[in-house]
Amino acid sequence: MTANAIRLDCVKKSFGMTEVIPELTAEFAASEFTVILGPSGCGKSTLLNMIAGLERVSGGRIFIGEKEVQDVEPKDRGCAMVFQNYALYPHMSVAGNIGYSLKVARVPRPDRERRVRVAAEFVGLSGFLERRPSELSGGQRQRVAIARAIVREPQVLLFDEPLSNLDAQLRHDMRMELSELHMRIGATTVFVTHDQVEAMTLADRVLILNNGRVEQFASPHEIYHRPATTFVAGFIGTPAMNLIKVIGDGRHLRLADGTEIAPHGRTGPVVLGIRPEKIGIGEGVIASEVIYREDLGSHTSFVVRLNGEQEVNVATPIGTELAGLDQLYLTFPEKDLHLFDSANGQRL
Amino acid sequence: MVRRYCKAGKMRQGFYVGRVTYAMLVAPILVLIFLFFYVPVGLAFFWSFFLERPFGGGSQFVGMQNFSRVLSDPVYWEALRRTVVFMIIAPGLAIGISLVLALAADRGLRLSQAARNIVIWPKAVAGASIGVVFVFIFNPFLGIFSPINDLFPGLWNPRIDGNDAFATIVVAQVWNGIPFNFVILLSGLQAIPDMLVKSAAMDGAGSWRRILDIQLPLLTPQLFLTFVLEFVGTVVEAFGLIDTMTQGGPGEATTLLIYKIYVDGFKAYDLSGAATQTVLLMIFVIVMVLLQFRLEKHVKYER
Repeated sequence: MTANAIRLDCVKKSFGMTEVIPELTAEFAASEFTVILGPSGCGKSTLLNMIAGLERVSGGRIFIGEKEVQDVEPKDRGCAMVFQNYALYPHMSVAGNIGYSLKVARVPRPDRERRVRVAAEFVGLSGFLERRPSELSGGQRQRVAIARAIVREPQVLLFDEPLSNLDAQLRHDMRMELSELHMRIGATTVFVTHDQVEAMTLADRVLILNNGRVEQFASPHEIYHRPATTFVAGFIGTPAMNLIKVIGDGRHLRLADGTEIAPHGRTGPVVLGIRPEKIGIGEGVIASEVIYREDLGSHTSFVVRLNGEQEVNVATPIGTELAGLDQLYLTFPEKDLHLFDSANGQRL
Repeated sequence: MVRRYCKAGKMRQGFYVGRVTYAMLVAPILVLIFLFFYVPVGLAFFWSFFLERPFGGGSQFVGMQNFSRVLSDPVYWEALRRTVVFMIIAPGLAIGISLVLALAADRGLRLSQAARNIVIWPKAVAGASIGVVFVFIFNPFLGIFSPINDLFPGLWNPRIDGNDAFATIVVAQVWNGIPFNFVILLSGLQAIPDMLVKSAAMDGAGSWRRILDIQLPLLTPQLFLTFVLEFVGTVVEAFGLIDTMTQGGPGEATTLLIYKIYVDGFKAYDLSGAATQTVLLMIFVIVMVLLQFRLEKHVKYER
């Protein structure tokens, strides 16, 4: 099977007066697993629906492969979709659900039954073909939805928050299965989620969307280690990157009250970003008051307050125990600092 | 007393504790149902085994003679035949048209919001008033079909032509039934999760296919409800229309069972015959409804 790339060219969407996506251009490479990540209401599901054809674009063009599809009916776009609440047909058996698209496409019955069996086996539901969706558990329903999407070997697979209704353990198992599935069938996959763990684990590339704008579109590694904006920095990581307002005097970065934070050649106000686990504890010079502490077993996570009232998350290295301290002395290693423009939040 | 039950209600999560309160709340409607439904029904059963005098005063037990008399009367069978025809045509049209309207309103076509309200209005008109209005509309000389008679004299005249008269009753009944069916079917369609329809679209189904494969099967409970109510309505409630529009004529072209009961009982004073026909009609309706419920068991599903 040859997969097709998806290209979005200046795509716009508004509902009445509400502009959801001002203008978005992006390309999802063939056979790539792209995750669209963003907070609720950022327009990510709308974007997916526009690729699927369930939502019309207000402007711009969408290409799947070489074909311009923004005015094409969903059924002629070659996409399959897995919905958040599965959207299984309650009046059809599992086999009926999986085979419906083949039935609509007038695939002859013997061929249809064979492909339904293969798809059901693929997701481990061989013994359930005659059941009704109401007789299945959440995880099983999700598998039916996936089997239904892959049965006609689509060029493009779309997922709309498919794991958000599952419990934590099941979600973990399904992540592994989805990853394996993608490797086996190789369709161009677009996966919408608000869960950063899903994004980091599944994606070849992550598109981070905020208010309908692309904040960053890069590999998970780059998103984590080189966030392009303060939004990405504050969204990725648990807890997320600390963002501290500092002023550079040409030799040091200082807090508003003058406390020296780290050596740096920058002048003027900037936003300093540092991950909680990169902050050095103990030997440092920056005094801070502990206001909250979580012992997670593997490590301890603190919330501390610096002079100048800024709160900072700090995580100890794995295996370190720091009990009963009211004060920590911190260092911010220069190589782990990220600097962002204080006006527009862009990485410097 | 009110306060006491409020307290108790809170403790027991809103259930009434006292049987007395419960009984008092249910009593008014039970009294009404008893007085105006069960008592007449019981009396009808009773009279169907007696020969009643038209102006009261003594009655005579005759066993099954009333039944054999009614059932051997060809006029009765003719009325039954007309009722069955009416029962098939009127609900079929009333539900078919409502379904088309509801599907259109559900798709959110232009002006569907306004149309939704307009379609519901006729529900507020009483059956007899509908009859009076339709008599005027269908009047062969003044009504909207009168131009037909200018072109082909005598083609349209419900006062003379039995088929025309039957058609007017059907039209009035259908018009009367559409608002309620429309509301029920539209709410049923809107209860179908949007995602299912979208999912079918992704599976390659065009809009007709989605209606046939997804929306209609999931609308079965509402379709069933409207069919049951329509069947009962055509048998029982068509009375108001017939009485105002055709009085069962011309000839007996629009004399359905319910109207025949009225004519036999209150015009011809054959009280026993009318009571017997009432019993038979009731059995007929009960059998129809039971059959429909049997049917429903086969189309049930869980959402």
